[in-house]
Amino acid sequence: MTNRLVVCAELLLGAMVYDAAAQGYKPPRTADGQPDLQGIWEVRTSPDKDLEKAKGVIVDPKNGKIPYLPAALARKKENEKNSTSADPLGKCYMPGVPRINLLSYPLQIFQTPGQIAIAYEYIHNWRNIYLKRDKHLEAIDFWQGDSIGHWDGDTLVVDVGDFNDQTWFDKAGDYHSDALHVVERYTRTGPDTLLYEARIEDPKTFSMPWTIRVELHRSTQPNARLMEYECSYLREVAGKKEGK
Amino acid sequence: MKNRRKCSLVVMAALAALAAVPLAAQDTPAGVPPEGGRGGGRGGRGGGRGRGPAMPPPGPVPRTSDGRPDLSGYWNAGNNGGAVFEVQKHDAKSRSLPAGQGAIVDPPDGLIPYQDWAAAKAKDNFDHHLADEPELHCYESGLPNQMYRQFGFQILQPAGYVVMNWEFMHAYRIIPTDNRPHTLPASTKLFQGDSVGHWDGDTLVVDTTNFNDRTWLDSAGNIHTDQMHVVERFTMVNDRTINYEATIEDPKAYTKPWKVAFSFNRNAQPGYETMEFACNEGNTDLEHYETTEGGKK
Repeated sequence: MTNRLVVCAELLLGAMVYDAAAQGYKPPRTADGQPDLQGIWEVRTSPDKDLEKAKGVIVDPKNGKIPYLPAALARKKENEKNSTSADPLGKCYMPGVPRINLLSYPLQIFQTPGQIAIAYEYIHNWRNIYLKRDKHLEAIDFWQGDSIGHWDGDTLVVDVGDFNDQTWFDKAGDYHSDALHVVERYTRTGPDTLLYEARIEDPKTFSMPWTIRVELHRSTQPNARLMEYECSYLREVAGKKEGK
Repeated sequence: MKNRRKCSLVVMAALAALAAVPLAAQDTPAGVPPEGGRGGGRGGRGGGRGRGPAMPPPGPVPRTSDGRPDLSGYWNAGNNGGAVFEVQKHDAKSRSLPAGQGAIVDPPDGLIPYQDWAAAKAKDNFDHHLADEPELHCYESGLPNQMYRQFGFQILQPAGYVVMNWEFMHAYRIIPTDNRPHTLPASTKLFQGDSVGHWDGDTLVVDTTNFNDRTWLDSAGNIHTDQMHVVERFTMVNDRTINYEATIEDPKAYTKPWKVAFSFNRNAQPGYETMEFACNEGNTDLEHYETTEGGKK
């Protein structure tokens, strides 16, 4: 009952944070007692073509639109027009956060007492999430940001800061500045499902924070492993075939 | 300040070459494990003591809750006879690279036991195709090259896995330790191969197959084929030293198996973390390399 009230309150407030406690699934634990998120996970349908057009991905604001400031919206449109050549992924760059979790390539989560790591099949990207550091690094920026995490009940909350301004959110040219700040929430909702939410704020680009939500599915095949997607290699092979 | 570690491969190579000079002078015959020094510094400059005269003193090793040696932490591979430039014993060559003993302990001459065609191909790589060095194209290094790459790596040891992540190229290896078999079809070819591990007492044994033929053994153009098979042994001898050896066989390229051996030294610097290494992101090294270092011909 209490939980239901919390959910209702959040719906009313538009906070739209998934309430794990209300759902009742208790994830298994690691040896040191963390909710166990380990495994190989992947979205079933990637929203990477256009977050706004992917149904139900932008859950806040309610209209499903990214709340761009006027000047920023103009730049987004310009990006979109030039997406084929301007999308950083076309150059095999690191996708940034949350985009890296939204691609059609699996990721694998590893947990140790002080650190969680995510390995990505996509261009062997890697993220370290530090559980025992509470401040972002100073005077530095990263393609993938700086990730510090903590547990909110059974939900892993990752605060990602220190971004550069070079990555996009999707192929549609949705972008951000170096003031980007992302708060991710990873919640197991069942044996084979992981809810992923990311609240995105960037006062230089958006008039208010906005939130995406997707479900990741666990690979249940025995002996499953990440394979390799080596973008620059594939590009060179393709280039040679075309005689470049 | 933008990326603190906007690393240039060419600059890195130059730095590491400088770092290699005094170490090369200390080189002892192959097979003598390096002194167990407390590695502290970053990458090419610090950490590795190269080959020293003393065996690492045995001592207690940390253990995981299931009683296995706990390999987790930050580690540096050291210079290892200049292995990153050339894994086999080498004279001073062009590019200002010093002579080095390499990291090969078997055969005793320290040389890769190449079949003729493979020796010719490696020579051609060195003479004419250094710009094809896979790392210049931001590829992962494969084995055994990955294990002596600079800038250090972190080992995480969650239940059922030993996981390694290098700062260089954010390369990683995921090694399940649950005795699983290789299950990939032979047609699947990977830069890092397919690794399966198990514990032989206190030694982690890793068997790796399914390599592609796109990685080099070092920066000098030494090669393997997609028939390479690598068996590695990681033995922690004290809380700051892991002895490493790898047996490399490849019936298409070599006349017999050969072996490298060296140690990883713990980087115990408080608060140390792996930084982000950008490679594809604004990589101009290839261009520099092709114009200043001979490159493609």
